[in-house]
Parts: sequence; C-alpha cells; structure tokens
Amino acid sequence: MVSLSTENLQIGYGDKIIVENLNLHIKKGEITTIIGANGCGKSTILKTLARVHAAKSGIVYLDGKMIHKVPTKEIARKMAVLPQSPEAPNGLTVYELISFGRSPHQSGFGRLTDNDRQVIEWALEVTGLGQFADHPVDALSGGQRQRAWIAMAIAQETDLLLLDEPTTYLDMAHQLEILQLLEKLNKEQSRTIVMVIHDLNHASRFSHHMVALSKGTIIKEGTADEVMTPDVLKTVFQIDAEIVKDPRTKKPVCLCYDLIEKVPELDNRKIMNF
Amino acid sequence: MHQSKAKQKKFIVLISLLFILTIITFIISLNLGVVRIAPIDVFKTLMGQGTARDQLVLIDFRLPRMVLALLIGAGLAVSGAILQGVTKNELADPGILGINTGAGFMVILFIYFFQGSMNSVSTLGIFLMPLFALVGAVLAAFLIYLLAWKKGIDPVRLILVGIGVNSGFGAAIVIFQLKMNPQDFMQAAVWLSGDIWGTNWKFVAILAPLILLLIPFALYKAHILNIMNLGDQVATGLGIHVEKERRILLLAAVALAGFSVAAGGGIAFLGLVAPHIAKRLIGPKHQLFLPLTAVLGSFVLLLADTIGKNLLAPTQIPVGIVVAIFSAPYFIFLLMKAK
Repeated sequence: MVSLSTENLQIGYGDKIIVENLNLHIKKGEITTIIGANGCGKSTILKTLARVHAAKSGIVYLDGKMIHKVPTKEIARKMAVLPQSPEAPNGLTVYELISFGRSPHQSGFGRLTDNDRQVIEWALEVTGLGQFADHPVDALSGGQRQRAWIAMAIAQETDLLLLDEPTTYLDMAHQLEILQLLEKLNKEQSRTIVMVIHDLNHASRFSHHMVALSKGTIIKEGTADEVMTPDVLKTVFQIDAEIVKDPRTKKPVCLCYDLIEKVPELDNRKIMNF
Repeated sequence: MHQSKAKQKKFIVLISLLFILTIITFIISLNLGVVRIAPIDVFKTLMGQGTARDQLVLIDFRLPRMVLALLIGAGLAVSGAILQGVTKNELADPGILGINTGAGFMVILFIYFFQGSMNSVSTLGIFLMPLFALVGAVLAAFLIYLLAWKKGIDPVRLILVGIGVNSGFGAAIVIFQLKMNPQDFMQAAVWLSGDIWGTNWKFVAILAPLILLLIPFALYKAHILNIMNLGDQVATGLGIHVEKERRILLLAAVALAGFSVAAGGGIAFLGLVAPHIAKRLIGPKHQLFLPLTAVLGSFVLLLADTIGKNLLAPTQIPVGIVVAIFSAPYFIFLLMKAK
C-alpha cells in the first residue's frame, strides 16, 4: 500500500507564505480529514500533496520517493486527485468522463481495453450511476455530478484518493451519500482517503484521523475524540463550541456554537447620517 | 457502449456528407470563373486532352487555388480547435489571439518596404511574402507566450495578453497602411481581409506536407486534449504533464495558423466557427471532433472562395470577407439557440 507524508513543507503563492514547516504523515488505509477556517491553507496543502501546486521548500514523499522526482503518470497510478468543483465540457457523457480515469494505465491514444471497461462498469455501479452512463455530465443534478467525478477518480484504481471538499454545494442527504460511498471504498478496498471538508460533524463521523489547521500550522491531530474538543475548536475557528456524543455513532459532534468575538454592534446613528 | 457506437455512426454519416458536399463544390468550382469551362471540357482537360487555354486556366490557376483553399481551411479550423482546447476558452482562435495580425503586420512591412522595388520580381515576392507572414505569426505567438508566462501559463491570461498583442499589431498595421501609396494600400487591404493569392503549385507543394503532417499530429494528441478539457488540476491528477503538453499543442496550433495565414492572408472567423459547429454536431470528444472540424473548415473555405470568385465577377471578393459574411449570422444564430 502507498504511503504519503511531508517533510518541512513551506507553501505559498508569490511572496505570501501560507503554510510553514508542515510535517504530515498520512496513515495507510485510513480516512484523514483536514479541517480549518477559510484561508488556513487546507486546499493549498491538498494541492501540494497532489503535485498540482509546487511547494516553496520541503518535500512530499509518495511511497518513500520524493514526489517531484517521480514521473507524473506513475504518480497518477498511485494517487487520484479530485479538485474543488471541477467542470466537465458540455456534452461529455458520464461514461466518457469515467473512462478518463483509466488514462494513467493507458498508452497515448486512450483506447479502452476489456479490463478498462470492466473497471468503468464497476465504478458506475458503486456510485449508483449505471442508468446515467449515457447522460451528459452537465445535465445531471449536483449530487449525481459529484458522484460521476468520484467515479472517475476511483476508476483510476489508486490506493490513495485526495478529495478537496467533495460534499460542497450538496444537500444534507447527498453529502451523506458521498461520504458513505467513500467510507465503503475505504472499508472494502482499504483505500487511503485524504479530504478537506467543512462540516465538522461529518469529519468527526467519517474519519479515523483528523488534522486541525490554523494559519497554516497544525494545531492538533488525532482521532475525532482528540480533535473535536472545545479548546481545539476555539483556537481553530474562534468559536465557543458545545461538544456532545452523537447517540447513534458515539462520535463527538458539535451541538451548537457561538462566536467568541461578537459581531460589532451596528451603529445606527452612523447609518442614519449616511 | 451503445451511445458511443451511435456517436461513431453519426460521425461517419456527417463526415461522409461533408466529403460529398466538398466534392460537389469542387466540381462546380472547377467549371466556374471568369473563364467558364464546360464540365465535359473540364473532364477532358483533367485527362490531359484539353485545349492549351483550358489547360492553363484549369491546371495552372484554378486547381492549385482550390487545393490551397482546402488545405488552409483545414489548417485554420484545426488550429482554432486546438487553441480552444488548450485555453479552455470557446472564443479562442488564431484571429483573436493576434496570430493573424502578427502575420499581417510583417506582410504590411514587406509591402511597405520592398514591394515598390520588386514589383516585377514576382517569383521572389511570391515566396518572400508568406515567409514574412510566417515569421510574423511565430513572432506574435512568442510574444504572447512570453508576456503571459508567470510560472506557467494561465489560459485566461493567455487570451487577455493575446487580445492585447492583437490590438497592438492592429494599430501598427494602420500606421504603416496610412503611409502607403494607393496601390500598395489596396494590396495590403486585400491581404488583411484574407485572400488566397499564391495560386501556384509550388505553393501547394510547400504547404501540403506541413499541414498534412500537423493535422494528424493534433489527432494523435486527441486523447490528451480531451483530458486537458477537464481543467489543469484534474489533468495533472490524471498524470498529464499539463505545462509541457500545452506548450507543444500551442506550437502546433501556431504553426498551422502561421502556414495557413501565409498562404491565405488574415482569414478571420473560420478558426472560431468551424470548431464550434463541429462540436455542436458531434460533441467534445477530440477523436471525432477534430477530423470533422478539419473537413468542415476545408468545405467552408472552398465554398467561400468559389462564391467570392464568382459572385461579382470579374471583381473578386476576398475569401475572408465571404467567410465572415456567411458565418457571422449563422454563428450568432447558434449562440442565440444555446441556453
């Protein structure tokens, strides 16, 4: 199984440093989620792990090898990447989209072998998209579209799956559906999953390992019980959270929360004058 | 999948239809012109049995021009299709990116500085002018790439820089045009609006292998173009060397446009319209979409050239103008029909 870790990563855009001195070790066969406030560097870290963004310094190790020294196609056979809200060209069918997931295993022309077709059929089936194979991706609902993209990523047949906010823009039921699909892939095929998600309770419920980030540094990492504490959430999100146990899953959930710094009072007098 | 089989069938029907239309246009075009030649005489001449006059008109003037129209049409259309693919922008085409005006600028310089002194030295002129055009196209492309480069190429930035370079060259063209004598001005104006003028077999001999090599190359890259259409991040995740592939494909598109413009002048719009129509007909899969675009480009340009030659004969309308007149309304119609 493939391992992924980082050593003293420093990441940024232009002159701006976003993440400093990051040492992250992704555990094999587990679901790891990265949580943190907007702009804390979650997506940036995921992009760097995915070699989509180059680090300023430091090293990402994939399978013990420095990732920037490994041919990109070889990486694509070990690690699949799904960016935030990807877009498919108009008219592309679900089947065609999923078939692109096979390209790291193909030669230049993209001709599908029988094995490729079997994998695509399997991906269609586990994502419940069988009946939509011939539909254009742009004609699907948000949840179906996201499943189509995940189907493409899993058709890549990699041990590692990196997903950036796979549940964003989906309603409650569809969010759960996606996460349960990922959980199933993790359990039944022991795929290692790294994802960024905003919903803390989902992160708590579905991950073996959570990484809480603030301003590009790891505040706390560990199991949900270790990370989902009022203290950590206070530092990471500046919220005063009430953590209880979910009666069904026995995982910690954030029942309710308040901002620590209150929203400044509206000064009515100023508005009137304005 | 039955869907992809159905698409393949549709593709074969469409491309056969276009082939037949092109052949019909080709035959009609052979008969028409300032000198009309009856079909039977056309046939005789092609078999080598015609009169000396028919031989001259048909074999030496009319045929090379038509073959050039087919080559240039395919070249511009595929160039536009590649540009639209790598920039992920449906508005990209050699015209908008400043490749046409770059070529135009060099041609204007050529006409301005040399034309007067080599009016009679026609053979040299005929081959120098396209060379200048090609240099201009490559220069423009290089400039755009250089200015758009910022630790990699961002497609949106590429297009914006292209539009900037385009208007820069456009302005420079006007400056030189205003200083020309009327005769040179006319020649420049005709060239800029797109005119297949190198009606010469030597020209075909140079252009044909280049274009007929570059189009299969684009086809060879069809799979990569498909994946690049999913965006840089997804493409990288799927193991594509995005930056490298984009550079190679841009180079191919520029070369195609450069060669085409060198022989056909600043034909605008074809590189935009042909891929659009083809995509609408067959979908975004480049394996099917690129060949259809090429054949469509050939057909449209041959048709436009035939119309331009004959509509107001003996006055010739530059082929670029005919393309624009006919395709612009159709293009707007397509856009209005889209959601």
